[in-house]
Amino acid sequence: MKVEISRRKFLQGSVALSITGGSTVSFTNLLATDKKPLHKNVKIATVCEMCVNKCTAWAKVEDGIVKKLDPNPLFPKSKNMLCARGDAGIHALYDPDRLKYPLIRIGKKGEGKFKRATWEEAYHAILNGTKLFKGMKQILEEEKDNRSTLGYCAGEGMGEHTFKQFMGDLIGSANFVNHSSICLKTTTAGYALTLGAYGKADLDNAKYVIMAGANRAEAILTPDTMDMFKRTRGRGLKLIVLDPRYTNTAQHADKWLGIKVGTDLAFVLALTYVVIKEVLFNKEFVAKNMNHFQEYKTHILTNNYTPEWAEKITGIKSHEIYTIARDFMAHAPSAIYYQGRRTAWSLQDFQLRRAQAIFTALGGGIDMKGGIVFGKKLPLDEHTVEIPLYSNIQRRIDKKEATFVGPNGTWIGFRNAIIEKRTPYPLRAMFSYKQNPMQAIPNIAKTRKMFEMLDLAVTIDTMPSDTVMMSDVILPECTYLEREDPVKSFAGVEPAIILRNKVIEPMYDTRAVYDILKGLSQVISKPLFKITAKYDADVQEEIKDASYEDVYEENGFNITKAYEHTQEHINKERVVNEYGEEAYKILKEKGVFYPHMDTYFKQLGMNEYQYYPDDKKYYTSPGGEKLDAQDTCIDEKAIAALKKNLGTASGKVECYLETMKKNGVDPMPTWRDELYNEAPKGKFKFVTGRHAQQTQNSTANNIMLLDVMRENYVWINKEQADEKGIKYGDIVEVKSSVGIIYIKAYPTIKIIKDVVFYVHGFGQESTGLTFGYRNGASDNMIIEDTIESVFGTAAMHETLVEVRKV
Amino acid sequence: MNFAMALDYQSCIDCKACEVACKEENGVQLGADKQRIWVSQSEKSIFGEPFVALHPSQCNHCQDAPCVDVCPTGSSYFALGGIVMTNKDTCILCKGCMEACPYDARFVDDTHVAVDKCTFCYDTRIVNGEMTTACQATCPTKVRLFGDLDDEEGELIQMLNKRKFYVLKEDEGTVPKLFYMIPEHDKNYAMNSVDEGTNIYTWDEFKPIIEMAKAKRKPQWQAMQE
Repeated sequence: MKVEISRRKFLQGSVALSITGGSTVSFTNLLATDKKPLHKNVKIATVCEMCVNKCTAWAKVEDGIVKKLDPNPLFPKSKNMLCARGDAGIHALYDPDRLKYPLIRIGKKGEGKFKRATWEEAYHAILNGTKLFKGMKQILEEEKDNRSTLGYCAGEGMGEHTFKQFMGDLIGSANFVNHSSICLKTTTAGYALTLGAYGKADLDNAKYVIMAGANRAEAILTPDTMDMFKRTRGRGLKLIVLDPRYTNTAQHADKWLGIKVGTDLAFVLALTYVVIKEVLFNKEFVAKNMNHFQEYKTHILTNNYTPEWAEKITGIKSHEIYTIARDFMAHAPSAIYYQGRRTAWSLQDFQLRRAQAIFTALGGGIDMKGGIVFGKKLPLDEHTVEIPLYSNIQRRIDKKEATFVGPNGTWIGFRNAIIEKRTPYPLRAMFSYKQNPMQAIPNIAKTRKMFEMLDLAVTIDTMPSDTVMMSDVILPECTYLEREDPVKSFAGVEPAIILRNKVIEPMYDTRAVYDILKGLSQVISKPLFKITAKYDADVQEEIKDASYEDVYEENGFNITKAYEHTQEHINKERVVNEYGEEAYKILKEKGVFYPHMDTYFKQLGMNEYQYYPDDKKYYTSPGGEKLDAQDTCIDEKAIAALKKNLGTASGKVECYLETMKKNGVDPMPTWRDELYNEAPKGKFKFVTGRHAQQTQNSTANNIMLLDVMRENYVWINKEQADEKGIKYGDIVEVKSSVGIIYIKAYPTIKIIKDVVFYVHGFGQESTGLTFGYRNGASDNMIIEDTIESVFGTAAMHETLVEVRKV
Repeated sequence: MNFAMALDYQSCIDCKACEVACKEENGVQLGADKQRIWVSQSEKSIFGEPFVALHPSQCNHCQDAPCVDVCPTGSSYFALGGIVMTNKDTCILCKGCMEACPYDARFVDDTHVAVDKCTFCYDTRIVNGEMTTACQATCPTKVRLFGDLDDEEGELIQMLNKRKFYVLKEDEGTVPKLFYMIPEHDKNYAMNSVDEGTNIYTWDEFKPIIEMAKAKRKPQWQAMQE
């Protein structure tokens, strides 16, 4: 965030940054309520954390035991549902394999031998190291207070910001990596730089939707897209699904097209060609809201992106492309080319997302009902925390791994730079929170090598994941049902604020991440300042002017100050300051608050609720502000930075990006033959995906979820399976250039030829996972570590594999 | 009261939320073959294109239930509103009911050493006055609608009056009470997702069948307290 700026450029002393969470006004009288004992035999409003979606739930507690989780219908985003994972949240809480106490490594790295420790012992091991590994003190001493030598990563979650604030703002490291470069980085960037924001597809009102590769019926089951499945098949929404697989989403589509892997860009360009050639676009919208349309028009026409051209690449008949282009525009502006979520698929992914966004805009469905909407966000009071400024911090190690590397990094670039010793200085430690890089990053062998090279690996998690096994110190977090997390405001057509209440007290010797970091700060704050005072020239100057103690206390170096209040106190203050005591009471009791909820919220039927009356919904964002706080996977601040650095201030749809041109990237979406690889004879393209019963790797040991899906199977086209003599349930070997796995086969007509698929989240190697250990196979064992060059996002569908029966 | 359920099966996405919610709500034994509810998947190829239909299912709470008749100990019985229940204390695991059930809705619960099946959440919800089952409440696309066939104003009857439906294995004569709602706006899908020879009903047509079976069985229904 601010780490590369010398504090000399700022005011003397510390800088108060506006950070969500914290205090501006003192509410000492409110503290008393924080200590209230938790009730027995009650229903407590909470927020699910089995995935990223934040569905609200009621936890039924009997005699201190959580007995059942039910959907809480009050939240407009999650409506009235819990998915299989949400229902199985109790088994995350009562999982017998949970991390129960802090642990310190006593065996070889990765061997899985740890000793039980107290929190104080664990904190001191992080600071001072042990015989087997180095501590922060020694590392920072050796690196002369370059805080960036301590890398950190986090998975998405309500506590992610708390952790980022600690490692980035308070400790001072610039080396943060999170899910975005193995997730939807190219998509959010593509939409943010083209439309101004990723936005949200208004699937409740759209009349025509093209969903390519996205699998809303299965992949991490997103609650705000569920109503779509009540609207297909002649019920108001025409759904076109493009996917090499006939997914559960395709099953609901009015048309399914089995597109060849990695060719989506050619398809969108051909749609655009038809629409421009036949002048089907929304002329008024284009004239008013699109920049450089003429250049784009010429570009599309002169490149001859005809449906006939696209047919050869995509495998989709040209007449289908003509029909879809015409139908789309006939339904526009209530027509959307769905943005997509998840990772980049191909090397051309950024251009694909740009082309999709421009194509949607040609129909005019932007910032309006039935199109891509941006909504409104309910404000929460900001909270400030004093942060120190260090002058010896160096910039990110992965800056050169892609054209634009943002504050969330490029995971593959970051890791590969470490193991291939391309970093400008050594990256010596890794602090992981709620992320499992060992299973999450393509090419597991390389991630293992990175962990082996580190001097210190500290991991905060609830389960003994594969990453935990590679760590030196393990700090056990309590589950979401045992803690209150930062209050969260969700922007949207129907904005709301939600709160995750603590349902029961933390079990075993576990703590919430906020309390873990509070404890750690108390142990490391003073010793680390000593190192800063020794190596930081600016701090030495300041100490000359003031005193050692004063600089420590007054200039933000006493990082324990960030944790003066409890999370509960901070939440209360942020809500009360904005909406008053009554609103906080409602939020605490019901888990959800928005103005006029008492009159707007109505049950319309056994299965239907109204959240906002239709005329009060924010289909068009007030003031034209394009918001991105609708989805927790999307980092608003990262997007804002991206737009500031690479975007334009026009507020219009950008067909042409000058910033890209300057950096050698195509300024307009362009198909590049050289970036497309077709599977040669005898090989298959491997595709991965998500489903509705597991969330990434985090639920791999959940016995209830394993009950509905025990292991993954590799999908292979039935005809090709027959040729190879592969039958259902046969064990097959799947081999890529980076790894080999063995998995059971599922020959099916639901996948096109020359492609094989199996779902992510299986094949855990941690022996600490009694139920999850070696079920099925891990996709990242075989996915090659290929990144697209613009943002360094993992291109996960570029791997070629061989399949044989064993 | 006469409890039944309508299933708008065309909206099912096979996410298995209902299966998990059921297990959590009712403490059903773990194991893939221990399911009170399930989603069956039929897969076929139409002119080379895949076609999949999803049919969520569970105990049909038949109005004329054969499982009740075959039970030698009275362990299978009709509870309030005609809900077919099992009494785990009196079950001797002869498995006659499992043989008698045409829907394969029953299985052995090893933890109770007794037969188990869907109860429409009778003991966890209905007796507490709740009018949704766990499977309905949790469902992301709201496939299920639980209700009372005697309540003419109720949502269930309103839906049955509005839309056509079919029931499973009608020729078994069990008068099942899971109503599968025919997709209204997509004839091709409707045709392909319903087996040939299956009768399609309106509520006016099916109501007399229900009434007749109810008249026969009502004396066996137990009151709430039992």
